[in-house]
Amino acid sequence: MNETCISIRHLSVFYGKSVALKDISLSIPGRQITAIIGPSGCGKTTLLRSINRLIESTDETRVSGEILVDGQNIMDRRLDVTALRKKIGLLAQKPSPLPMSIYDNVAYGPRIHGERDRKALDRTVQDCLQTVSLWDEVKHRLRAPASRLSVGQQQRLCLARSLAVRPEILLCDEPTSALDPVSSQTIEKKLVELKKDYTIVIVTHNIHQAIRLADYVIHLYLGELVEHGPANEVFEHPKEERTRAYINGTFLADIKFDKELDLKGTKCPYNFVYAKLALDDLAEGNILRIIVDDPTAVTELPRGMEADGYEVLNSNQLNKTDWEIVIRK
Amino acid sequence: MGRRKMEEAIFKCLMVASVVIVVGVLLTMIVMVIWRGLPALDLSMITQTPKGGYYLGREGGILNAIVGSLYLAIGATVLAFVISLPVALFLQREYIGRARFAGLVRLCLDILWGIPSIVYGAFGFIIMLYLGMRASLLGGIVVLTLLEIPIMARAMDEVIRTVSADLKDASYALGATRSETAVKVVTRQVLPGILTAALLAFGRGIGDAASILFTAGYTDRIPTSLLDPVASLPLAIFFQLGTPFPEVRERAYASAVILLVIILLISIASRLLSRRLAKHVVK
Amino acid sequence: MEKGLSRLIGRRWADLAATRLMFVATVFVASVAVFIGIGLLLKSWPILEARPLSELLFSSVWCPSRGEFGFYPFIMGTLWVTGLAGIIALPLSLLSALYLAEYAPNKVRALVKPALDLLAGIPSVVYGIWGILALSLGGISIGFNVLAGGIVLAIMVIPVVTSVSEEVFRTVPRDIKEASLAVGATRWETAKHVVMRASLPGVAAAVVLGFSRAFGETMAVLMVVGNVARAPSSVMDPAYPLTALIANNYGEMMSVPLYDSALLLAALVLLVMVLVFNVAARLALARVQRRWA
Ligand SMILES: Nc1ncnc2c1ncn2[C@@H]1O[C@H](COP(=O)(O)OP(=O)(O)OP(=O)(O)O)[C@@H](O)[C@H]1O
Ligand SMILES: [Mg+2]
Repeated sequence: MNETCISIRHLSVFYGKSVALKDISLSIPGRQITAIIGPSGCGKTTLLRSINRLIESTDETRVSGEILVDGQNIMDRRLDVTALRKKIGLLAQKPSPLPMSIYDNVAYGPRIHGERDRKALDRTVQDCLQTVSLWDEVKHRLRAPASRLSVGQQQRLCLARSLAVRPEILLCDEPTSALDPVSSQTIEKKLVELKKDYTIVIVTHNIHQAIRLADYVIHLYLGELVEHGPANEVFEHPKEERTRAYINGTFLADIKFDKELDLKGTKCPYNFVYAKLALDDLAEGNILRIIVDDPTAVTELPRGMEADGYEVLNSNQLNKTDWEIVIRK
Repeated sequence: MGRRKMEEAIFKCLMVASVVIVVGVLLTMIVMVIWRGLPALDLSMITQTPKGGYYLGREGGILNAIVGSLYLAIGATVLAFVISLPVALFLQREYIGRARFAGLVRLCLDILWGIPSIVYGAFGFIIMLYLGMRASLLGGIVVLTLLEIPIMARAMDEVIRTVSADLKDASYALGATRSETAVKVVTRQVLPGILTAALLAFGRGIGDAASILFTAGYTDRIPTSLLDPVASLPLAIFFQLGTPFPEVRERAYASAVILLVIILLISIASRLLSRRLAKHVVK
Repeated sequence: MEKGLSRLIGRRWADLAATRLMFVATVFVASVAVFIGIGLLLKSWPILEARPLSELLFSSVWCPSRGEFGFYPFIMGTLWVTGLAGIIALPLSLLSALYLAEYAPNKVRALVKPALDLLAGIPSVVYGIWGILALSLGGISIGFNVLAGGIVLAIMVIPVVTSVSEEVFRTVPRDIKEASLAVGATRWETAKHVVMRASLPGVAAAVVLGFSRAFGETMAVLMVVGNVARAPSSVMDPAYPLTALIANNYGEMMSVPLYDSALLLAALVLLVMVLVFNVAARLALARVQRRWA
């Protein structure tokens, strides 16, 4: 069951002259969820896009090394990329519905690959939409433009679109980062259900998400592979100091807060302003924990903080209404 | 599978072929016109007015047409600018309010854009008949102004629409009125775009022949008043081509080279201008 | 205090005045098209009263000195030349634009794009000159006919349509193109199903823009199309478009009765044709968009 599905050997990727990935060698097990973690800009997206060769669509990239999928080197120039991409689905960071109806979005892949039979298409569309639990929400408006769905629904639609070509591997690039907490949970649940049939590789910034989902973990840092291994080993006994630091930096089990602030009942942007005022009083490196219950704050506040140069260590749902957000100055 | 690969390959070939055809034909066009015109081009062409009539004359130059074209195009561009900028500014949401009206104005501009220049010429001609005017510099300028307004206003509208609401809000927050914001913030922010729009319209104006055929007339002299008829480069080319004398036809080709050079200069100027001015824009 | 107040009032007043001024300019510009229409209609009224419209539009006899004004050959001339230009220019422009936007390496695009923009600004007389030069080139002369006019016109509109469509194609977000590639579509399939569909409104606008120009183009066409007042029946026949009719005859139009009225009617017909084309394109587009959106 844990047979190696993707194995990467000496992979290096260059954008122009700058190196994005340096000599990566690792194996990704089949029918499990593999999480790629690491700080921003370390090459997670690049690694993911190398696996389905979408990296080629960026100008001036150079790739060396091999990636074997089911024993076949996909870097081989003679390989048919369309067949490869049919086998490897991709769920992007932002929902990207195609400019057509909901039905046509899901049917797009099968049609491209030559499915003409109406009945079969209908069945595929229904199956895939049911798998991502979107069917009941959209079955009456399959002909409506996909752009009219909510962002969370769009992301599920994109998942359904990827599933419609019956891939074996599913690559997800921060699939929940643009979503609200509830939609994120739905997507996470789907991924866990899907892992019995699919090999899933997920890039995530959220260490909690990685812990919840991953069976196998890959840690990248500045384009280098730091550590990879089964999730419990990596999380509990990281071999590398850098992994330990990264996990501790973001994982807050034993972090002490320099200040706590209860902002329940305040709305965006006031809670943001209060939080900034509190941060002003703190010293560099100190940590602030705030509690909010305004749903927009959950997404907007961390974004604003990051834009202002603070590090958001975590945002986590405490109970039905309350969220904690932890920020380091 | 084979079929899809083939489709891709066929269309890629078609695309490359079209680019090659398009670029090739356009380049040959320029090269041919220059090749043909250069031999007849000498200094006297651009420093003297024609001797013995533009229709028959084999001597002298076409200074009258060069100066005339510049008068016409500069006059029209200035007038069109004065009218188009307020229109483009007015199309901002804080002035025009309802999107319906803005849509209507834009539709009108698009329709004006599409009106053939010969129709502008015919219309101008009727008006001038009505007013008892002869073909003159003034008539040509007015008609060219009408022709340039939609080009300029639409291009300005496009760039003004790119100004972010935040920037305007910052100005309103300081207590500026709408007009002060429009003039001091919006216009300054998109100045490169606005000037590029003006140059674009200038290029169209200086190259248009059909609209000034009836309205500006033609003469061998350089006009001294707004009511004198005026020569223009495109018409100089057109008339000289129409003569039975090969020598005069050669001069038409030379005039075309002059016109091409002017257009080229405008194009380069607008590129440099927008690059230089872009430095002062808040990103 | 007093001074500040009067300053404030002054600023308010200036704002109000400026707004009024802008409003007047806008209304003026928006109504120019109406003025033109009315002016032409008034001036062509004499001939519209003297002859039935059906005769004017569908009679093939053009003989002003005998008082016969049939516009049919000229209308057909315009349609033939513009139609042929469309058939030549559309595929070339759209394919080139797709190539530049989707396939071409950056360096090629950086070279071709400014060249197209420059060419789009070249005056039509220059295209006409090229037409004449090309026609007299070598032994394979195709003569002065619809084909020559159509080719010259096509070459005139290609830079505009290509350049604008390329810009429209490039506004299609990368995400959705990659979404299509990621399910295994080829680049061409992505271009065909996703890029073209997403940019349909913009491309349609580009085409309408280009062809409004083609309809009304005078000089370039006039110089190569032959100017024989007979409705063409093949592309090798000469033609006489409306624009050329007006331009060629303005000199003598005062000497023959009803002639001036007839020429202004020609301008009106041209205006109506361009309007109908514009509106039809808009309506068609609105329908397609409602279906796809
Ligand atoms: N198109 C590109 N051209 C040049 N450099 C690029 C390009 N895309 C990415 N890079 C660089 O390559 C490195 C890795 O980028 P990548 O997108 O893989 O990071 P990431 O780990 O996904 O980051 P994030 O978590 O922020 O999404 C970065 O330093 C980035 O600046
Ligand atoms: Mg990334």
